[in-house]
Amino acid sequence: MTGLARVGLVASRELSAERRQPDGAVAAVTFVAVLVLLESLVVGPSRARDATVAAALFWIALAFAAIVVAMRSFDRELDDDALDALVVLPGGRDALFGGKVLALAATLGLVALVGGVLSLVLLDLPLALPVHVVLVVVLGVVALAPVVVVDVVLALRLRARAALVPILALPVLVPQLVSATQGAAAALTGDATAALAWSGILLAFALVYGVVGLTIVPAAIE
Amino acid sequence: MIETTFPRGFALRIRPWLGIAAAASFAVASVMALAWAPTDAVQGDVYRIMYVHVPAAWLAYLAFVVVFLASVGWLWSKRPWFDAAAVASAEIGVLFTGLALVAGSIWAKPTWGVWWTWEPRLVTTAVMFVMYVGYLLLRSLSTDFDRRATRAAILGVILVLDVPIVHLSVLWANSLHQLPTVLRAGGSPALDSAMLLTLMVSVAAFTLVYLYFMSARVAIELSRRMTIWGAAGAQPPRLP
Repeated sequence: MTGLARVGLVASRELSAERRQPDGAVAAVTFVAVLVLLESLVVGPSRARDATVAAALFWIALAFAAIVVAMRSFDRELDDDALDALVVLPGGRDALFGGKVLALAATLGLVALVGGVLSLVLLDLPLALPVHVVLVVVLGVVALAPVVVVDVVLALRLRARAALVPILALPVLVPQLVSATQGAAAALTGDATAALAWSGILLAFALVYGVVGLTIVPAAIE
Repeated sequence: MIETTFPRGFALRIRPWLGIAAAASFAVASVMALAWAPTDAVQGDVYRIMYVHVPAAWLAYLAFVVVFLASVGWLWSKRPWFDAAAVASAEIGVLFTGLALVAGSIWAKPTWGVWWTWEPRLVTTAVMFVMYVGYLLLRSLSTDFDRRATRAAILGVILVLDVPIVHLSVLWANSLHQLPTVLRAGGSPALDSAMLLTLMVSVAAFTLVYLYFMSARVAIELSRRMTIWGAAGAQPPRLP
């Protein structure tokens, strides 16, 4: 079996586990939805309709949701002692990292879809360039997943890791959060050039962390 | 195998001299910064904070690049010296990043009128500070030596990506912060020659302080590990 097939196998196993017991995804969707609902109450309806404010809150919510989903996913492995079995397989660590990233990106895609539609409808946001919005969201999610999985792996089996993972992940995610927020705001308000430029940064960020993750992070999975 | 150890006896021998050199250069740099360097025509004497702020920021960069190199060294060779160097450099880097932030803030109040403003260089530096506090936190929560070193090394490799972001943030975004005056892309440093010399001496003094701190902290870390291994009755690995 090739490395890519193993990654696909871990990802599909992860997604079917999430489908059978969708507590991580449900918690993430609820979390994002609550934040979208609270947004206009907290900052006021007119400011909440500002594309940059809405995009910033959306991406911060999605970053926290990613942490929730990824931690729940690894908790499930630890509860079932499945991690130990996986890491002893040939190429198991690489496949585990790659599969977790793919599965997290897929789950976050769903969370982003629900949160995005809620934001557009409830906040009455403009949607000048829908294709560009989709592009930014897809690349933003792809850039988010490897960083969060890296940090959850580093904090695996540590005490206080629920507090540690956001401390480790959020500062590293700053370029992703800035690019995704500015890119989404540009796409919402009709600035195609800026949306594409920010998408390029998101793609570069995703590639860098994906490659770094696949190269060195599997060594930390135990 | 590539020899990646550090000559321990050599480090022990030069440490007192390193301390003396650091103290002497620090004294010279202080005199030059406070008395010899001319007063700035626009900012007056408040600009002299630069002689602390710039070297502290330089040391922060240096320290975090050393964390990266030591982390790669650990992942490559698993020699304890590299992990000790990584933790020592991270601690010193956090200290000097904090000093750069505080000194910058003291300078900003009379110059910009505020202690803090949300501009790219300040925010990215503060983010870098938080990142390495997280690095030290990760280390403090792990008990197993090898696992802690590996996890910290991976994080040390990842976090170094922020160093160029901090340095180049003033070029990438509209920034209130001064653009690079010494390491400029095109041309010589945009600084009076006496000011530049004083700044270079300050940077050299801070770098010697860093080297002294490093040699002392690495030695403490290695002897702490030898003690732990000794107490556990385990055969300690060969230390450099």
